[in-house]
Amino acid sequence: MIGSTTLYGLCATGLVAIGLYGLVLHPSPLRKVIAFNLLGSGTFILFGVAAQRGAAAGLLADPVPQAMVITGIVVAFAATAVAVALLLRLVESGGSTLEPSAPDPQDDRPS
Amino acid sequence: MDWSFLLVATLALPLAMVVACVHHLFFARVLSWLPLAPVPGLLAALFERGDSIVIAPAPLRLTLALDDVGAMLLGGASLLWGAAGLYASVSMRGKPGSGRFAIWWLLTLTGSLGVFIVADMTSFYLVFSLASLAAYGLVAFENTARSRRASRVYMALALLGEALILFGFVMLVSAMPGGNPLIRDAVAMLPGSPLESPAVLLLILGFGLKTGLVPLHVWMPLAHPVAPIPASAVLSGIIVKAGVIGLIRFLPLEVPSPDWGMALMVLGLLTAFYGVIVGVTQQHPKTVLAYSTVSQMGVVAAVLGAGLSTGAPGTATLAAFYALHHLLVKGALFLGVGIVGATGTRYVSRVIIPMALLAFSLAGLPLTSGALAKFATKPLFGDGLAAFMATLSAAGSALLMAHFLGRLRTLADESTGDVANASLVFAWALVAAASLILPWVLFPEITTYALSETVSMKALWVASWPVAIGLLLALFLKRIDASVPRIPEGDVIVLLERLQPLAARCGTAIERTDLVLRRWPVASIVLLMLAIAFGTALQFSR
Amino acid sequence: MTPAAYTATEGGALLVVAIVLPVIGMLAIFALGLRRAERIAYLVLPVGLLVALAIAADVARSGAAVTYVLGGWQPPLGIALRADGLSVTLMVLTAVVLCAVGLVARGSFSTPPDKAEARSPMVFWTLILGLWCALNTVFLSQDLFNLFVALELLTFSAVPLVCLDGRRETLQAALRYLLFALIGSVLYLMGAALLYGAYGTLDLAGLRLLARNDLATSVALGLMIAGLMAKAALFPLHLWLPPAHAGAPAAASAVLSALVVKAPFFIILRLWFDVAPQPANAMAAQMLAWLGIASILFCSVMALRQARLKLMIAYSTVAQLGYLFLMFPLVMASDAPTAWESVGWTGGVLQLVSHALAKASMFLAAGLIAEALGHDRIENLDGAMSVVPISVAAFGLAGLSLMGLPPSGGFVAKLMLLTAATETANWWIAAAILLGGILAASYVFRVLNRAMAAPASDFACKASIPLYRELTVLGLAICAVVLGFVPLQPFAFLGIGRVGLP
Repeated sequence: MIGSTTLYGLCATGLVAIGLYGLVLHPSPLRKVIAFNLLGSGTFILFGVAAQRGAAAGLLADPVPQAMVITGIVVAFAATAVAVALLLRLVESGGSTLEPSAPDPQDDRPS
Repeated sequence: MDWSFLLVATLALPLAMVVACVHHLFFARVLSWLPLAPVPGLLAALFERGDSIVIAPAPLRLTLALDDVGAMLLGGASLLWGAAGLYASVSMRGKPGSGRFAIWWLLTLTGSLGVFIVADMTSFYLVFSLASLAAYGLVAFENTARSRRASRVYMALALLGEALILFGFVMLVSAMPGGNPLIRDAVAMLPGSPLESPAVLLLILGFGLKTGLVPLHVWMPLAHPVAPIPASAVLSGIIVKAGVIGLIRFLPLEVPSPDWGMALMVLGLLTAFYGVIVGVTQQHPKTVLAYSTVSQMGVVAAVLGAGLSTGAPGTATLAAFYALHHLLVKGALFLGVGIVGATGTRYVSRVIIPMALLAFSLAGLPLTSGALAKFATKPLFGDGLAAFMATLSAAGSALLMAHFLGRLRTLADESTGDVANASLVFAWALVAAASLILPWVLFPEITTYALSETVSMKALWVASWPVAIGLLLALFLKRIDASVPRIPEGDVIVLLERLQPLAARCGTAIERTDLVLRRWPVASIVLLMLAIAFGTALQFSR
Repeated sequence: MTPAAYTATEGGALLVVAIVLPVIGMLAIFALGLRRAERIAYLVLPVGLLVALAIAADVARSGAAVTYVLGGWQPPLGIALRADGLSVTLMVLTAVVLCAVGLVARGSFSTPPDKAEARSPMVFWTLILGLWCALNTVFLSQDLFNLFVALELLTFSAVPLVCLDGRRETLQAALRYLLFALIGSVLYLMGAALLYGAYGTLDLAGLRLLARNDLATSVALGLMIAGLMAKAALFPLHLWLPPAHAGAPAAASAVLSALVVKAPFFIILRLWFDVAPQPANAMAAQMLAWLGIASILFCSVMALRQARLKLMIAYSTVAQLGYLFLMFPLVMASDAPTAWESVGWTGGVLQLVSHALAKASMFLAAGLIAEALGHDRIENLDGAMSVVPISVAAFGLAGLSLMGLPPSGGFVAKLMLLTAATETANWWIAAAILLGGILAASYVFRVLNRAMAAPASDFACKASIPLYRELTVLGLAICAVVLGFVPLQPFAFLGIGRVGLP
């Protein structure tokens, strides 16, 4: 039997791996945003593991990581919101990828 | 009376003139004020001696001081700056961009006079950089293709020199407590310090670059001729002396150091002959003069090297004496080129004859000031091969100067003017006279010889034969003139410029690498690898 | 296992004011109407500067750190704010740069009188205030998680500044910036989780007492340092910086280049000197320095090859950031009794400060030049000198500092780093410092050369620039130069509040 701490840890690792894979290799920006959320979730579970180990030390459950996870979720939510808003504007302006197109040599605006 | 305020004024007056240029009325007239800028320097050289004043107290310790060596060069440089300023105020009047020229002029002036009077390391670096970087504005002034190339090369090598010197300074200071020691304290600590060799090497390279030691001379024949006449005069006469004073101040001349001394002497003599050999293949009189500067600075370096190898007392003074002579003569020769260019064939002989006297003075013609300079420095070389080579370099100088006069003649034949402006002639005559007279005045003070010894039969003979050989060689050269190869200005740099496509290819390769590294998957994988690498390093290495 | 307790010092409440004041400004913008954004910002900026100066005076007078414990709760449950010499220096720097940027931005982000409200001015001023709050939090926080939140706040304020004009390229740049910064944040957060799991606290002083040399700590620090490097855009992680900093409006670029990238570096400093088990790891220090060297050389060459002025300045930012990372091995190998008494440490911090001033001035000057000429192609800058001479002069003075020529803050900083490299026989670092200076001089001179050339005959000035904007830019550049008159010794002020650390 694996203990629940190890299980959580493995779970976190799996999520982080999937998230990293998507973030690094998926070309579509929206997928990257979703992958970032997976990556974030993996990290939060890691905090959960830390809390769990605090509980093993005799506490009922360590409240500090829980507070951190809540804050972290808010931050990740805000990040997702900003990213999606940017992505919407980007699609409106006719682009859909992250790789910049070749610069226009005739472009006269300050770049 | 306390004259030390003159030292402050030497730097403050030209800087104040630069600041005053903010006002457009002064900016419009600044050119005519140029001759006045070096006046405090000249007065300081005459009246002020031995004092040192601390401008900013510890820990900054910006200190000014004037010793005999500094005073000699400061006086000569101030005189030439003044005369060349007078020349510039007439010859540059009405030219587009003359206001800008005046600002660069004043900044260069501040720096180049500053190097003779600062006593602490930080200030020395500051004024030295000011002199070499502001001179860029003088080199680049004409804005032709030739001057753009020259200024590019000049800037690149000047920056390299700055870097070498800075590194040398850091090594010099690293053993000292406190941030900014006096130069003489730092140099006194140098012999025996663990960083002695690299520090001396870097300083010789850095200051050698400024004085034009082979192969770091390449900027000089490019940069000196492209500037306007008065700027050429100060570049070739004064700015190179920043390197000389650097070598004088920063080499531990009092302590015998045979290896470094020998190396510097060999490099100097090599430069002296190299300048002559390439110089005689040049066509434009200003370029010939620039190569002559390379050659003469080689002699100064050899003098310093000879002194360094034996630790002979008085080396600094003698080298400065030689440098002072070159400073004035070269300034007068450059101004003279301008005068010849403006004088019609009718009157040109009135200019050419004094020019010939000046030119051969550089080769040590008997009874000229040049003979004194050679006479005073000769004992440093001892009796061996070095002394012979040093004497032979005088023959080289005579050859080069004969070639110069020939080219000057051609220039005079092409001249369309009639009589040069009286102010220009006055400026030229002032420097020429000073170059012929001043060394006679100073000679008894700096050597133990009596003046009569310099005119003894033996001395006259020793001074004459190299000049005679040089003249014979010049006649021979005139014979075979057509078959002499024409080496392009700046010689080795032309080879280096062949490397430009290679540099461009490197640049393109770097750009491509940048594009690859900045692709998303590459950068993010590099990020993860870095995280792993740091973790591993932290864990497994101690 | 009880971590060090903080005692609140007198005047500690000012620290809270420094963080909350910009937030009050933001709220006021929302409450009083977006039209008033600019006026509110002009009220908050000088007050904030005064607060920063007051804290600095307090620290200087007492010679000790100013501390405030929120609600009296001690860490690990509570949060402590602490201003030592270093953080208070950076706070004053931030306030000065922001005030200058505010003055220069006045022309470009005013709400036009005929419109009810305009989007970009409101966004600009709100974000500038948000960014300020985040920066002050970074400088004052004593808790790794708190630092994470502050960093995220900073990113969220900085990213929209990149795409204020809403063009496609800038939106792309902003999104790249955001996503890459987010990877960095997650790595940092993972490291924080590991540290918490290992030590049960994220308080800096507590960790300093507890830190051991074990696997969890190594992995955590590796993750955190790499994540922060991504946010600081150290080569080869600079993919987002050039397009983002070059695409933003000049006023925003100035803030991004001068201040925002310094925050992650500041946290690396904290981690390295306050958290990592001592003595620090030589190999990791060398790795940081090598990345710094690569950054200096590679990105300086890239800067030299740019056709656009702002892209050149952006690449120069990456190169100059490289100098900051040189200090780690230099500090380690020095024989000074503590890190902050070594020349390398002071040189690094001075480089941070002088680069911030110089780069802000340079970006603002480039903005004014582009405004006056209508473009920023380096090849066509001829005549800039005749239109905006003061801006070109400011560019030159700022360039002096970047090249490391005297007299300038950059010179003293590089000289101190060079001295430290010489004393500790790190010859590669010394060579990189010198070569970087030569390359920097080349790219600065390339611009100045064009800018000082005579204008073409058909030259037309696109817009006239009010004098006060140009003078503000010049003022920043002069600040960078004046820094050059500090003596070449470790400054006691930067060590205040750190001397007592174990």
